[in-house]
Amino acid sequence: MFKRVPFKTAGLMKKLMGEYYEKGARSQKEGIPVAWMTAVSPVEIIYAAGLFPYYPENFGALAGARKIADKLSLSAEAKGYSHDLCAYARCGIGDAYATEHPVGKIVEPNIIFACNTQCGTLPKWFEVASRFYDVPYFLLDSPLVGGEPEEACRDYFLQQLKEMIAYLEEVTGRPFDYDRLREVLHLSNEACRLWNEVLDTAARKPAPFGFFDASFHMAPIVTWRGTQEAVTYYRELKKEVDERDKAGIYAIPEEHFKVYFDHIPLWPRLRWFSELFASHHTLVAVSQYTHSWSYSFDLERPLESLAANYLEEFVNRSFDYRVQLKLNFIEKYGCDGFVFFSNRSCKSTGLGLYDKRNIVAEKTGLPGVVFEADMSDERFFSEEQVLGRLEPFFEQLKSAAR
Amino acid sequence: MHKEEIIEFLQKVVEKPDWKVREWKEQEKGKAVGFLLTDVPEELIHAAGFFPYGISGGRARMEFADAHLQSWTCSFVRSSLSLALEGKLDFLDGLIIPQTCDTTRNVSGIWQHANPLPFLQEYRLPRQVDRPSARNYLIYELNRLKEELEKFSGRKITEEKIKESIALYNDNRNLLARLFVLHEQNPAAISNRELYTIIEAALLMPVEILNKYLNGLIEALENEEAAPKSKIRLFISGTLLEPLEILDFIDENGGLVVGDDLKNGSRYIDAQVQTNDDPLAALADRQLKRIPGAFYDPPHNPRRHFLVKTARDKKVQGVIFLHLRNCEPENYDFYDNMQALEESGIPAIRIETEFVTAPSGQIRTRVEAFLEMIGGEGNV
Ligand code: SF4
Ligand code: SF4
Repeated sequence: MFKRVPFKTAGLMKKLMGEYYEKGARSQKEGIPVAWMTAVSPVEIIYAAGLFPYYPENFGALAGARKIADKLSLSAEAKGYSHDLCAYARCGIGDAYATEHPVGKIVEPNIIFACNTQCGTLPKWFEVASRFYDVPYFLLDSPLVGGEPEEACRDYFLQQLKEMIAYLEEVTGRPFDYDRLREVLHLSNEACRLWNEVLDTAARKPAPFGFFDASFHMAPIVTWRGTQEAVTYYRELKKEVDERDKAGIYAIPEEHFKVYFDHIPLWPRLRWFSELFASHHTLVAVSQYTHSWSYSFDLERPLESLAANYLEEFVNRSFDYRVQLKLNFIEKYGCDGFVFFSNRSCKSTGLGLYDKRNIVAEKTGLPGVVFEADMSDERFFSEEQVLGRLEPFFEQLKSAAR
Repeated sequence: MHKEEIIEFLQKVVEKPDWKVREWKEQEKGKAVGFLLTDVPEELIHAAGFFPYGISGGRARMEFADAHLQSWTCSFVRSSLSLALEGKLDFLDGLIIPQTCDTTRNVSGIWQHANPLPFLQEYRLPRQVDRPSARNYLIYELNRLKEELEKFSGRKITEEKIKESIALYNDNRNLLARLFVLHEQNPAAISNRELYTIIEAALLMPVEILNKYLNGLIEALENEEAAPKSKIRLFISGTLLEPLEILDFIDENGGLVVGDDLKNGSRYIDAQVQTNDDPLAALADRQLKRIPGAFYDPPHNPRRHFLVKTARDKKVQGVIFLHLRNCEPENYDFYDNMQALEESGIPAIRIETEFVTAPSGQIRTRVEAFLEMIGGEGNV
């Protein structure tokens, strides 16, 4: 185990996230509707409309990190929800039926918005929730972007944004404030820009920041995106990362290798993985996951650019596009190998990884590996099996360097 | 032709699923475009001059798909891809994959790498159906699909051609629906297994020929004397009817399937296409008004109401949920659907299945026990 120098901003993060949850708890009392949102969806509209956005996926990640996803899941499974469904959904549905809430209760919604850019699971889960909590539900539908983005699909999404805004006007009883939307979009742009600058420092050699750090520091870009808080946070973080770099505090001691990681971290095993990779002098430098929040909005065309950004997120793109994206990251960050996590919770990022491994290996000549597990539910994690995959990979990295 | 001959012929089509398509390709020197079940508008494929071939999975050697698809992928898609990799779908020149879930959304890219085809398209159904934007988008998507088919065939698909195809498929749906009615009225004349075998055959043979056979069959059945026998009335709900043997278990134990919402069942034949409208808009409208399915997302799960209402209208004594393992859309709605039936006092069981070599004895036992429970004494 190596000695970590804690980030000073971690304190700020704690404060921010505390505030976020407090706000969630307070909102309903103060008459501010709580809107459930999916991670990749136009939260900017929700902030501009003055609602409180809440991310149940976050709750699933938290339950995973605290190692209770399996227990929450059992309450859902008792109702007939299969353990093959996404663990986030099982945690969310499980929490609705559970009698015990070891990580606190999910914040109950007044209204639910789902966007299926990420997956088809979220809409199904949120639909279930809308019946359980008996609240209205609105789906933003993103057809798969097969090749080049089509004008008609953008237009379809745009029409739906207008339907969403009309719906919000009805719910809030206020006309939608487009000036406020532009402000929020500006703040989102800033936070995304800073966040990506932080992520990019992982390309330095040795690097002051890596994927496991990013997994920790990403909460505000998800939850606070569109507010000044997120901008302040990432400005501070960027400053600190640069300072640490100057002071020679690196993400891992003695970085020999960098690898690309696909996709999401294994929350209950974050520490275990970060130490495993560090012990092999391997920095997990980059993942398309943490780069999901790279939006850039055109303030002159707010709705059009919201449509383009949220429809065309990589997870809604074709097989070949996503292979190319991995290749680009591998090149940009100077990776020496790649690790693909075949996450049984997530068909939307897991399917296709076997073929993608072959293609990426062929195109780059780099060593790469796929391993099986679940991002949150430890019943589907076998240390032995994962090590059985990763140990030979580390050997390959070393022999490739020789 | 006698009823027995017709049924035997259609059974043979199902036993040799490549028979009619190979024959047609040979005779017509044409191309075959497959589709994964079942919401793809066959009318368009037909109007483009291709043979529309419905792929409903099968008893495949799953190890062929294992190199491409994780074990937690549904066995419908795993078996379909396995069939392709085994060479059992090598007559296909193209494939259309409807977007019904995360599995179908991802499998097209995998398929194209594992088993490249000159024509592979996603049919991107809208996932919300109740707002005006959905219909406009669906018409766009149908038009796009039409254009892609035109590019592949090198010929324009005229409006007239689509209308002709629509008329043919409307006939086909009417005939198949008529069979359902006859089956319900006179179960002795056509069994559950026979009925659903015919739907399966419909996916595998030219509609023109099939319609002729169906006309003959219906005539024969209509002339047959009804032998009324009290039966246990059942509804089957799920994605795909698999394994077909389950129908034998039902037949043998006095069950009568009077309704279903399966892709290789009633979902295949429900709702007609208007013939006086713009044909693409008419195809879109059919899609939007089909019986509810788990992969659409109208917010309040109309399927559960549909189940209760149909069960009541059809005096159903029990519902069998036939669920493919790892089919997420079905699984998310199951609890709700089950609750709705429970509240209405309609007994139901859920049987989880997979495309494997043969159905287990356990499935037989469960079906028997369920029928016994809901049928009671003297009903059979
Ligand atoms: S982990 Fe995957 S399946 Fe689950 S909510 Fe996220 S994107 Fe959807
Ligand atoms: S809808 Fe269900 S059965 Fe059909 S492909 Fe998707 S997971 Fe498989």
